[in-house]
Amino acid sequence: MNVQDYIKSGIIESYVLGMANSAEVAELQQLCIQYPEIKQALTEVELAFEQHALSNAIAPPPALKQAIFNQLKPEFNQAISSVNSAAAQEAPVVSINRTARFLAAASVILLVISGGMNIYLYSKFKETTKEYQALVLEKNTLQANNQIMQTKSLDMYNSMQMMTDPSMLKVSMPGVQGKEANYATVFWDTKSKDVYILPNKLPQPSTGKQYQLWAIVDGKPVDAGIISDCAGLCKMKNIPTASMFAITLEQMGGSETPTLSEMYVAGKVG
Amino acid sequence: MEKSFQYSESELILLLRQRNEQAFSYLYDHYSGALYASILTIVIDEATAADTLQEVFIKIFKQIDTYDSLKGRLYTWMLNIARNAAIDTTRSKGFQKSQQNQSLSENVYELAGSVTIVADDLGLRKLVHRLRPEWKVLIELSYFEGYTQDEIAKLLSIPLGTVKTRLRAALKELHKLIKE
Repeated sequence: MNVQDYIKSGIIESYVLGMANSAEVAELQQLCIQYPEIKQALTEVELAFEQHALSNAIAPPPALKQAIFNQLKPEFNQAISSVNSAAAQEAPVVSINRTARFLAAASVILLVISGGMNIYLYSKFKETTKEYQALVLEKNTLQANNQIMQTKSLDMYNSMQMMTDPSMLKVSMPGVQGKEANYATVFWDTKSKDVYILPNKLPQPSTGKQYQLWAIVDGKPVDAGIISDCAGLCKMKNIPTASMFAITLEQMGGSETPTLSEMYVAGKVG
Repeated sequence: MEKSFQYSESELILLLRQRNEQAFSYLYDHYSGALYASILTIVIDEATAADTLQEVFIKIFKQIDTYDSLKGRLYTWMLNIARNAAIDTTRSKGFQKSQQNQSLSENVYELAGSVTIVADDLGLRKLVHRLRPEWKVLIELSYFEGYTQDEIAKLLSIPLGTVKTRLRAALKELHKLIKE
């Protein structure tokens, strides 16, 4: 059907003025649901006639309002409108039967409303539960990440404390010939003789290989420990004396003697 | 009673359904003049119109639960109650008697011609008066006197299809005049 033709046909006007027959009324109400344009046209026609009627209003006799309200007095909802009911004393005359009927009707209406609310709230509840579960998951992940960060940051703090200790001797180990880009630092506690290594710049060891730290004592290499992947400072073996430190790349698990061809960095003490 | 504030139509209907006196008072203050005028254009006599208006407001109050906002605005619904009540009044025995016992068909033609002169300056009639005569008589019979299109076709001896077409054209024109 052509919506515009229908709107222009005059049938909407006849509906608004109550002149349409029942078939036309049923059709228009159906079309209003189907076509928003028709519903809008209906409202426009209604408003036009309503505005015209309001601006051409004629005041009815003033006494009429009071007559109507007197007649309806017992029917008004006293609980809400008791403010201006001078005749409130008359209210108890209302029969219990009527009150009971109102209460029954009100409770049925409330029941229907509450049923609707239940459905609405339940769907809302399910939605919220889903959102809540997603949030809990996200919270747990964030908390775990946060703990990791805290641990790392604590390690860093401890490392920093050690590095800045006055009794800590710093031994810089620049890259050897051909490996100048590499660099590592040994921190040697002159009191406890504990050795810590900070692998500032060493290439990632290939699989099956590990870096090993050596202390040169009286011209001979002494194993100072294998460098595992620790954050910040790695604690190595206790070395009482040494003139030099060096790092070589060895088989996984370390070697007895260093493979000199695989030396990466070395530095003299002092 | 406060008159300064306005209810939205949905608020008003909700409060009316709760039998709220203040809302009904607002409804009366806001619409009684428009409804009274539309009743007056049909029944002409002021005392009869006032009685009809009282009956109409009682009906509006008692039947507010049957109002369905999907079918149209509140005023449209109230206007229909008022118009039906007014037409019922004109058809009641007492009213017919006061109109000097004219026979029904005579009455139709008489009213279509004469009454408009009496109430030409009232509400919708003011605009209907400006329509072409063949349109005017159709609005007169159907809107102001409540005859069905079938009855009008028989009364005026014109085909039902013509009645329908002319009536719709007349209403379109009336709508145009209202917007001016």
